[in-house]
Amino acid sequence: MPKVTKEEKKTNIISAALKLFSEKGFYVTTIPDIAQKVGMSVGNFYNYFSSKDILAKELVMYISEYLGENIRLINEKDISTEKKIDEIVSMYFNMADNRPEMIEYFLRVYLSNREVFGNGCEGMICVSAFVTELMIFFDNGVSSGELQDQDFFSAFGLFMGYLGGMVFLFGEKILPEPLNSYKKSISTNIYNALKAR
Amino acid sequence: MHSKQDKKLKILWFRGVTCNGNTHSFLNLPHLEQLLNRFEILYHPILESTLSLVEITKLKDKCDIFIFEGAYDPLMRRNEVLIGDIVTHYAKNAKHIIAAGSCASFGGIFKASAPQRNSGLIFNEDVEYGPLQSYKDRVINLSGCPIHPEWLSYVLGMILNKKEIEVDSLHRPIELYSNLAHHGCTRNEYFEWKVDADNFGEKEGCLFYKQGCRAPMTHSSCNKILWNNVSSKTRVGTPCFGCTEPNFPLTNLFSTKTNMSIPKDVPVGISKRSYLTLTGIAKTFYIKRLEGKLIDYKRDN
Amino acid sequence: MITKEIIEKIEGEASVEFEIKDNLVEFATISFPHFRGIEMILNGKNALDALVITPRVCGICGHAHLMASVRAIEDAYKNAGYEIKNNQKIEKIREFTLIMEIIQNHFKWFYMTLIPELEKLHSTSLVQTPLKGAFAASLAAKAIATFAGQWPHSSYMIPGGITSDPTNIDILQVQTYLQELSLFFENETLGTSLEDFLSFESCKEFRGLNSDFSYIEEKLISLEMHEKGFAYDKFLILGKHSFTSVSKLNKTHAVGIDAKFVNTVEAYSPNQITYAKNAQYKKEYYETGPLSRMMALNFPIIKNMHRRFKDSAYSRVMARIFELAYLLKKASSLATTLTIAESSYNSVVDISKITASGLGVVEAPRGPLLHKIEIEKGIIESYKIITPTQFNIGSSSLKNPTPAQKAMQKLSKEEALFVFRTFDVCSVCTTH
Repeated sequence: MPKVTKEEKKTNIISAALKLFSEKGFYVTTIPDIAQKVGMSVGNFYNYFSSKDILAKELVMYISEYLGENIRLINEKDISTEKKIDEIVSMYFNMADNRPEMIEYFLRVYLSNREVFGNGCEGMICVSAFVTELMIFFDNGVSSGELQDQDFFSAFGLFMGYLGGMVFLFGEKILPEPLNSYKKSISTNIYNALKAR
Repeated sequence: MHSKQDKKLKILWFRGVTCNGNTHSFLNLPHLEQLLNRFEILYHPILESTLSLVEITKLKDKCDIFIFEGAYDPLMRRNEVLIGDIVTHYAKNAKHIIAAGSCASFGGIFKASAPQRNSGLIFNEDVEYGPLQSYKDRVINLSGCPIHPEWLSYVLGMILNKKEIEVDSLHRPIELYSNLAHHGCTRNEYFEWKVDADNFGEKEGCLFYKQGCRAPMTHSSCNKILWNNVSSKTRVGTPCFGCTEPNFPLTNLFSTKTNMSIPKDVPVGISKRSYLTLTGIAKTFYIKRLEGKLIDYKRDN
Repeated sequence: MITKEIIEKIEGEASVEFEIKDNLVEFATISFPHFRGIEMILNGKNALDALVITPRVCGICGHAHLMASVRAIEDAYKNAGYEIKNNQKIEKIREFTLIMEIIQNHFKWFYMTLIPELEKLHSTSLVQTPLKGAFAASLAAKAIATFAGQWPHSSYMIPGGITSDPTNIDILQVQTYLQELSLFFENETLGTSLEDFLSFESCKEFRGLNSDFSYIEEKLISLEMHEKGFAYDKFLILGKHSFTSVSKLNKTHAVGIDAKFVNTVEAYSPNQITYAKNAQYKKEYYETGPLSRMMALNFPIIKNMHRRFKDSAYSRVMARIFELAYLLKKASSLATTLTIAESSYNSVVDISKITASGLGVVEAPRGPLLHKIEIEKGIIESYKIITPTQFNIGSSSLKNPTPAQKAMQKLSKEEALFVFRTFDVCSVCTTH
């Protein structure tokens, strides 16, 4: 059996913790729960993360970097802003389908337990990778004349609030159709709302 | 008999389309007299000169240092002689050619009055163009609207000392133009922590976010070698307008161009991604000292 | 006989074509040959950009352009229903830096134009270095830069105030520059104290001095400049300031006026291209500048001088030097009474809300400077500038000469060229 590296073990902890936190809730989940799920001792767990709060912050950064990296790949493509919106929506919904724990964690833990993230994870600190990439997306869109110049947060809220809302409805099993079937109409709506007039 | 006078380098200062601002800025030089005593002024439009305008337009004399102020308009005549003939004649024989100010360097303000025609001596904005292409290796551009007197004094001093003046790709001396106008600005800490100036007329806050300041995108030593040995635009709350750059003058000079609140231009050589990452994080913190008044006067005196 | 002279060592370049009869100037036409197109450059730009572009009309009086520009934009705000009321501090600092620019101009004119030209007429060698003028002017520029960041080409005045927020350190620094400049003026230029000079009641009192000033005063008399260079003896002051009063004077009779009655007419220059129009008030020519401004104030010596020498070249020169003394005192008093208590800037509505026209009028070193702006949703639709030199040194026909043309008549060509310069010509402003 190949030896599992330290980095891989860390990733395993992150995956397990994401699942547990988003299923059971942040406060109910204990470190022994997580250690058990990864198959390691509690003592060994502390070699990776010294506290639950620190783990919680690392998880946000992990998700932010994952999203940021994926949006960066789209940003760097030589395609229209309209097409980029399609791809960002698609990427986001695929993530909700394939790794629902990431978005669940973001919506249900990060946004709902601000007291955990107050110290050292406030404002942009933990989500910088993701927000920066969206800034680049908006900046490029306005520079190329495809998007209307407006306040950043108005545009950001419209884009991410919309996607987050849809994923929330999906998680609550309220959506009658699979997420994928909304990609086209949602992309079109976002583009129509943001495009240059 | 050869007097010492004969050995002095001869300066000829000539004008194209100009406001004379470079001349008047140069006259502010604190050690003007000592400096000028080391040269012979063959011709200057205001200073006492060996020759008159009529005499120099006969194109019989030569100068060692040819200084040109103003934009080059090929249709302009001085004493009925086409300026192209005058400029070429003196440049051909001069060891050093100095474009004094942004108009002479890149076209500047007075390129705009005839954009299809006017230019600098060897550049039209940042494109190589203009009457002195054949002598471009000898051209030093001292861009700035106007020039700083110490910048010209530096170039003349280096020539007197027979020292090589290294220049950047736009022919500006690197010792003067490797700095950004931002360097030495008294508002630097506000830039570091991304604290905007709420308004004009305040000592506090950075002018980069709203008021249009171009200092982080502008090569010049304005906040290092102060104006009139006293101050600078940003120190008195005026945004830098980027007057040393080839694209001067831009438009909407008192407001920062943003795309969805994100600055269109970011500091020279820094990727927008890195800039935004740092900005987002810095903006997260509330620093009481930087949000309040530097000096809290009892405003009743 | 017709001869043409290129006038240099002024701000820019002019050329004068003389019609000479019996060795005297019968008539002179004046042209300013170099077009620069600032008004055109401004069209379509944001109105606030005028605060950066118009100072670049002129290297020696750009600050006056800045102030005319900010006044024009503030007038447009008022006409659009958003009146801007600047506090005392803002008004005082603006006024102070404008005065310092006039002072710097007059020093340069005295040492770099007047003295060398007198030497030429008198065929004596240059005994006073022109660079003294540059030195004094650079001190005045330091005082401006303390509030305005730099001189030339500051843009520190904006609608609603100024960009700087000076401390008491700045004010003390400015007072030091003023003291140094006043000492220079007293010791080098006047040969007496400012106070004594300003309290003189007769030109005869100049005779006791031994200085650069008394030297040129004697030269002017020996050249009979007190009997030459008369214009219309009509004076015009249009800019509203603490150091003068808006009025027109027919000899000494003053009447209140309004800048809206300024008009321009095409210049008469049949043989040469010129880019200057002549400026008038209610279709009549007036002299503008220091002599006019000093005539509007009640200084005994100016009255005495005018009674004896009218608007001669001598009076024109003396008034400029007297104004220098008067303004130095005025600047000191402004700097001493300046307090930092009030705000430097009060927010105004965004320029994009403004659709209106505005007129800004200031007294520049050479007289009234007018900026007229038309703004459509913050964008410049049209920008028109009228400069002092257009009032003084237009070129008209023999029937109705301009002040400078009239002043040059019946003089030798050399004298006429000197008289031309007593108006302190600014060609660059004129060909804005």
